Amino acid sequence: MIETQWYLLLSAAVFSIGLFGILVRDNALLYLMSVELMLNAANINLVAFSLQHGNLTGQVFALFGMALAAAEVAIGLGIILVLYRNFETIDVTVPTTMRW
Amino acid sequence: MTGIYDFVPVIALLPLVSFVVALFAGKYLPKKGALAGIAATGGSLVLSLVVALTVATGKTAGYNETLYTFLEAKGAAPFSLELGVLVDPLSALMLVIVSLISFLVHVFSLGYMNDEGETGLPRYYAGLGLFSFSMLAFVFASNILMAFMFFELVGLCSYLLIGFWFREAGPPSAAKKAFLVTRFGDYFFLVGVVAIFATFGTGAFAGSESFPHLAEQALHGEHAVNTFLGLGEQAWFTVIGLLVLGGVMGKSAQFPFHTWLPDAMEGPTPVSALIHAATMVAAGVFLVARMYGFYALSPTALGVIAFVGGFTALFAATMGIVKQELKQVLAYSTISQYGYMMLALGGGGYVAAVFHLTTHAVFKALLFLGAGSVIIAMHHNENMWDMGGLKDRMPVTYWTFLAGSLALAGIFPFAGFWSKDEVLYETLIHGLGESPLLLGGYAMGLLAVAFTGFYTFRMVFLTFHGKPRTEVAEDPEPVRWNVKGPLVALGVLATTLGAINMVPIKKLTGAHIDYLHQFLDAGPEAFLTNVHHYGELLENPAFAGYGAADIGTSGLLISAGLSLGLALAGAGLAYRLYNVPEPVEHTDRLGRVKTLLMHNYYQDEFQVWLATGLTVPLANVANTFDQGIIDGVVDGISSASRLAGRGVRRIQTGVVRNYAALLTLGLVLLVAFFGVTGGWF
Repeated sequence: MIETQWYLLLSAAVFSIGLFGILVRDNALLYLMSVELMLNAANINLVAFSLQHGNLTGQVFALFGMALAAAEVAIGLGIILVLYRNFETIDVTVPTTMRW
Repeated sequence: MTGIYDFVPVIALLPLVSFVVALFAGKYLPKKGALAGIAATGGSLVLSLVVALTVATGKTAGYNETLYTFLEAKGAAPFSLELGVLVDPLSALMLVIVSLISFLVHVFSLGYMNDEGETGLPRYYAGLGLFSFSMLAFVFASNILMAFMFFELVGLCSYLLIGFWFREAGPPSAAKKAFLVTRFGDYFFLVGVVAIFATFGTGAFAGSESFPHLAEQALHGEHAVNTFLGLGEQAWFTVIGLLVLGGVMGKSAQFPFHTWLPDAMEGPTPVSALIHAATMVAAGVFLVARMYGFYALSPTALGVIAFVGGFTALFAATMGIVKQELKQVLAYSTISQYGYMMLALGGGGYVAAVFHLTTHAVFKALLFLGAGSVIIAMHHNENMWDMGGLKDRMPVTYWTFLAGSLALAGIFPFAGFWSKDEVLYETLIHGLGESPLLLGGYAMGLLAVAFTGFYTFRMVFLTFHGKPRTEVAEDPEPVRWNVKGPLVALGVLATTLGAINMVPIKKLTGAHIDYLHQFLDAGPEAFLTNVHHYGELLENPAFAGYGAADIGTSGLLISAGLSLGLALAGAGLAYRLYNVPEPVEHTDRLGRVKTLLMHNYYQDEFQVWLATGLTVPLANVANTFDQGIIDGVVDGISSASRLAGRGVRRIQTGVVRNYAALLTLGLVLLVAFFGVTGGWF
């Protein structure tokens, strides 16, 4: 039996990698992947606590989270596609028109 | 089932129907709505006469019912707002007067408006109809709120009719003035109405639950009422009485609210007759008579009424002596005569006031219609210096006008003599009795008699006697039956109407011929609106505390002789000065006094100064405060927000990574905050 804190450590590591990707990368696809990583870090947390408390609710919630992530990817890819059509690039620092 | 009394609302509704007919169908009718008006007011007259006869002779001499309740408040302070009908001798008499004058004015209008080819006649007859409706409904109003509503409608109608010739410069301005000046008084009236409801919880005029009776009980300590401003009951009732009096003084053109009335002569002459004889101006005095049971409780309010009345009677009469236009003289005589009625009411002469109201309605309507006849004949020239010698050319107008003038001047035995004499007599005996202050009002009223005699006969002699001074006066336009008919009817009444209340004869011979007194005293006891009830209130030392001095038969004769002598002296002076073939303007000898009188004591200028010299600067200060302080605060808040927004919006860069960075920063700060406060470190 692996202690719960290891799972938490893994989750924190995955979250930090995702956060790092969002903060430094320019590519919209990498952005999307980084967001997925952060989402899955949360899922790991849910499953880990579910295991510790012997309560299945957390795992059910994690399944919902994965379905949600799939839907989110579809929308995200759509946005990236539109981005490319309008700006002929998927660099997220180029389109800055949506401001005051 | 109360028989005829069920039809009382119809008296007012008939002119309302004629208003609708004239307004919407008037232009298709042969006389443009005149016939509808004549039929409606004729019907009202017949019904009013039947009602008055029923009151005088019937088993039930009154009727007091609620027709419609539009608001009923329950709880700690219950009250209800309602429309109702109150018929007692006073309102029955007034219904007859109003519908009679209104009927005759409609007939006269056929000659004055239709025959002269005026345009806009449907509007004119609609106005007359609405005017009659409002006044009749005001007269039988059973409570003060309903009275106020119709009081205001009367004011509106006078505005519409005075400004009938709205394409000229004068009438619209006169109409606005009439409306604004009377509205100013009505403002106080409205506050008074609210005060009455707040104090007594009812506005009813008659009965044991009426506010005059509740006030009476409150002063006896039998009934508790709410008083305000920390005043005692009597002082508070005086305040209410004076507030309502504001509306009365505006409508009845008492000093200092009299300025609208002479200007109101800009309206068509039949309208002037209607306004000044029976409706608008009479409404004020009628209101005081209607709630006399309330005023009789307050000696201060009565004193104010008597003084305002006496002063106005004299003040207006002095201006009448220099005017050059026929209708202007009549206008100032109207103000003066209503002053007499107020003097009588304040002086404890309730019957005298109602009597003078009745006779004045008749002879003033007669004089105005006579003036209208002269104006038709003179092709709408009103200047008396352009007339002269009309006596032989229009005898019917002359003789009827003379009857009206004799009545106005108070010459024996015409109607005005009896009523004016009673006014002065009542004031005198109460003044000599317990309230010597009334003698001041009496003195002014007595002095005004001489002025009245002078200006009345100056007017008659200038208009009808001497030689014609212009070509038009040589050959005046003839008038038809529809002008002469009303004149003759009113002329007969002005000569004989004094017979309804010959109090001096009664006192001398003992014959009971004070019919008006008996009539006004014959209402149902439960209404508490009878003359003897008012008399008890007046003489109760807890209330007005009036007492009549017994001046005996010789005093009575001296009083009557004095007023008749002064009237004759004034008339005689006018006869000497103006009854010559070619009169000259003797009032020029008054010099600067004449200038003062011609300018109406600069009252108009004073009121204009009040508006432009006082109200406008005050309004400017208020405007500055509003624009500078109030709006400044609001504007300051908005510009501060805009400035802050302009700075803060810079963080919205449009680069999605910056948002992510801010989110992360926020998260870190939150975690750090909870960490520190939660004691993780």
